[in-house]
Amino acid sequence: MQLVQFLQVLLLAAGCVFFAIGTLGLFRFSETLTRIHALTKVDNLGLGFIVLALLLGVASLAVAMKVILIWVVALAASATSAHLIARAVRSQDRAGTRGSERND
Amino acid sequence: MTLVFNAVAAFLLLTLLVALERIWLGPTASDRMLASQLFGTTGVALLLVLAEAQAAPSLRDVALVLALLSVLAIVGFVTRVVRIDRRES
Amino acid sequence: MSAVTTISARIGLLLLVWWALTEGDSSGIGFGLVVTALATVISLRLFPPAKVRIRPFPFLLFMLFFIGRSVVAGIDVSRRLLSPSLPVNPGYLTFYLSLPEGGPRWLLANTLSLMPGTLSVSLDGERLDLHCLDTREPVEADVRLVEQKVAQVFGLSPNNHFRQEGSQQ
Repeated sequence: MQLVQFLQVLLLAAGCVFFAIGTLGLFRFSETLTRIHALTKVDNLGLGFIVLALLLGVASLAVAMKVILIWVVALAASATSAHLIARAVRSQDRAGTRGSERND
Repeated sequence: MTLVFNAVAAFLLLTLLVALERIWLGPTASDRMLASQLFGTTGVALLLVLAEAQAAPSLRDVALVLALLSVLAIVGFVTRVVRIDRRES
Repeated sequence: MSAVTTISARIGLLLLVWWALTEGDSSGIGFGLVVTALATVISLRLFPPAKVRIRPFPFLLFMLFFIGRSVVAGIDVSRRLLSPSLPVNPGYLTFYLSLPEGGPRWLLANTLSLMPGTLSVSLDGERLDLHCLDTREPVEADVRLVEQKVAQVFGLSPNNHFRQEGSQQ
């Protein structure tokens, strides 16, 4: 039991470190697209560690499945959002260089 | 263990607040939409940890809904605000 | 693999999701069965059984590969962020995919977003635009490797797949 808790604390700490680095990425990277790189990859790793830590302490198999389900949904959500924002940034950049009247 | 979970939740909340501060500065609308993605990951992690810390299983449902809504918010943004040209794809 | 296999696989998957969502509480199973049936019907309307199917075992291997690569991705970005000189060289790269339309291309574009140094920007037909954190890295080799893995998930033969690529240049 002690070992499990020790592992949990270790994984939670790792998750926190990666979330902190992800936030640091927002400050250190100056472009929107590189910021998305930081947010998607680093934060997802942080979430992965936290999910693993929680999986070690779940009450039942069904709860474990639910946590995994939430993790998969969050992963898919993150990948889709990253793609959509990147595409939006690019289409705005193009509109800007073409000198189109679209200014929103 | 509850103490550890609460500390982790507090730490995640702190990183979320610091990140929101940066996002508030922008400068573009797309930069600000990163907030939605932030809630999709950090917010979900925070809620999952809180569910454990406060022994409130329903917070896991909140985490699931938050993850789903973060995508919907971004889909709304890119189709209505930026107007990604659908015809080119 | 017939339509029956697809339908029963979907029903099984949805029941599993329901079981997980209710955290194993069996009191709502009546609702669960109705919702599962409706969701299966809707999924068949929206995504009719396609010619290319996901193969369970290669998919599992792909998941392991993906998890490993996304851990590398997180560490890679962290390393760059933490080093004082901030070694990034961002830029766009364009690739022409040889995977068939639909699921395979979608899976490739989405997984690349979570892999080291790449972020898919737009997927337009067979043309995939990537934003790379560091264009000095061997991105091309990476993309082709993932492409090959995706092809295996859908049971496409790599030979056929690379010949197609040549004809598209």
